[in-house]
Amino acid sequence: MLFPQAPSHRAFRVWVRHLVYYRSFYLAEWAGNLGEHILWLVAFGYGLGRLVPSLDGISYAQFIGPGLMVSVAMWNATYESTYGAYSRMRIQNVYESMLMAPLTVGDIVLGDLLWCASRALIGSTLMLIVLSLFGLVGSLWAVAILPILFIEAVMFAALGLIATSLAHSFSFFNFYFSAIVMPMFFFAGTLFPIKGLPLWVERLSEALPLTHAVRIARGLFIYGYVEDFIWHFSFLLGFTFLFLTVACVLVSRRMVE
Amino acid sequence: MPGFVIDAQGIEKSFGTLKAVDGVSLQVKTGECFGILGPNGAGKTTTIKMLHGAVQSDAGALRVLGRDVATQSRLIRAQMGVVSQEDTLDRDLTVYENLWVYAGFFSISKKASLSRIEYLIDFMQLREKWDSQIKTLSGGMKRRLHIARALIHEPKFLILDEPTTGLDPQARHLVWQRLRELKAQGLTILLTTHYMEEAAQMCDRIGIMDGGKFLVEGPPQTLVQEKVGDEVYELRGGASEELLDSLQGLPVTTEIVADILYLYSHNGMGVMEHLISCGRKDFLRRPATLEDLFLRLTGRELRD
Ligand SMILES: Nc1ncnc2c1ncn2[C@@H]1O[C@H](COP(=O)(O)OP(=O)(O)OP(=O)(O)O)[C@@H](O)[C@H]1O
Ligand SMILES: [Mg+2]
Repeated sequence: MLFPQAPSHRAFRVWVRHLVYYRSFYLAEWAGNLGEHILWLVAFGYGLGRLVPSLDGISYAQFIGPGLMVSVAMWNATYESTYGAYSRMRIQNVYESMLMAPLTVGDIVLGDLLWCASRALIGSTLMLIVLSLFGLVGSLWAVAILPILFIEAVMFAALGLIATSLAHSFSFFNFYFSAIVMPMFFFAGTLFPIKGLPLWVERLSEALPLTHAVRIARGLFIYGYVEDFIWHFSFLLGFTFLFLTVACVLVSRRMVE
Repeated sequence: MPGFVIDAQGIEKSFGTLKAVDGVSLQVKTGECFGILGPNGAGKTTTIKMLHGAVQSDAGALRVLGRDVATQSRLIRAQMGVVSQEDTLDRDLTVYENLWVYAGFFSISKKASLSRIEYLIDFMQLREKWDSQIKTLSGGMKRRLHIARALIHEPKFLILDEPTTGLDPQARHLVWQRLRELKAQGLTILLTTHYMEEAAQMCDRIGIMDGGKFLVEGPPQTLVQEKVGDEVYELRGGASEELLDSLQGLPVTTEIVADILYLYSHNGMGVMEHLISCGRKDFLRRPATLEDLFLRLTGRELRD
């Protein structure tokens, strides 16, 4: 075998393990998610939004809706792949027990990423429901964002797993969140348009994977059409494969001495 | 397939400058039970982790169930059960879910796993705990569940790293009883333990490990006979020069530890009579055990 730790269909069994655990608390989580989504939308979209003039002919709430949905996927995937995965990998020995069964590190990593993405997808679907209840979804094409969010979530989960395999305690994630995730959230054009800001900010924003997911979402939600879709999509896909590979290598190094 | 379940030739593992496993060679045949004994830090767990691929060897050749561990560890694990020294039960799941999810890792069908779980839950006496969370289990129950989990796929080979450490006598007896049953069914077993008595009863062969190497290896009774003797006399309160001198001609080996004099005799003949004739009646006479061998080989100083 050339890659003894390569992922396979057995990743599904890892995903099932997470699902079995999830069954014990999902209702509480859904309730919490819904509340949080509504709070964000009301506080920013309508609270702050009163001070904001219309942007490119749309209201501020309409502007941030798709951005928030895309960030929900990022936040969910990131939490699950940092705090969640760290506890499975380092504290509860869940990975270790899987490696005593016939699973490879690749199976475990892929299974974890698919799980993080599944949870993120549930979170964003709840957001989609909230947005449509507030009348902020202008096109049925909005539903097409879900598979793209899944890929986005796999990407951020892989990035989170990279952080997890480098972490030596939970406090490392404070750094990860403030150095990577927060700037990503603010500079991806979720809450304010990037156009017109200093050139270096625009450049930085273009390089952030979240920006491209936001562009796709905003296009689908408001116009039912995405400019340069192939470019944005390839950007997401490229980073997904990159982060996935790096995550496999790093977790492997962490698990096999 | 050649008859060896484990075939290790000079395997080594270093952590930084520390050589945890230093040239171990070991062959275990199908159906055999092999016990690794050794003080804390001897390298037992590291050796075991090399067998299932959690630790990669720096040197040497290691084949398990006829396959090379370096490249085919996944296929080996499909036929092998592992009970690790540390608790690796899934604390997020119940007892039943732990077994059911683990069966999935071996791609066992839902129906087959259910009947296997039914059997193992009874075999390990965990029936009342079927739906309990792991944190509500006692140490003994956790250990039993661990063993049940390692048996979920009817492995050909079972590895147990200190299966009974920290258990009360009842739980310990149950575990050893079950292991003997598994052995009688033909399962090949490799275990580590600090319980000499049980190891001597259970294992066809034992190896005593220290500093990452096997010091001796063979059937426990034979090793004890050869390296220690048949009987041990313990004399408390020390011994006079006179007594020690008078023992010169007898077939005994002596050892003094603090205030105890140990006499290891090879055929008992005359030792007791001699002691009595010297006016010593305060001795304890008992058969030589694996523990005597262990302590003589690995010394009496504390480790760690
Ligand atoms: N991951 C590691 N990193 C550094 N050193 C290690 C690591 N694992 C084990 N060691 C060291 O290797 C040596 C052998 O450890 P090992 O766990 O194999 O001993 P053991 O025989 O199982 O001991 P015990 O009876 O206490 O379980 C010890 O000195 C230990 O400190
Ligand atoms: Mg150990």
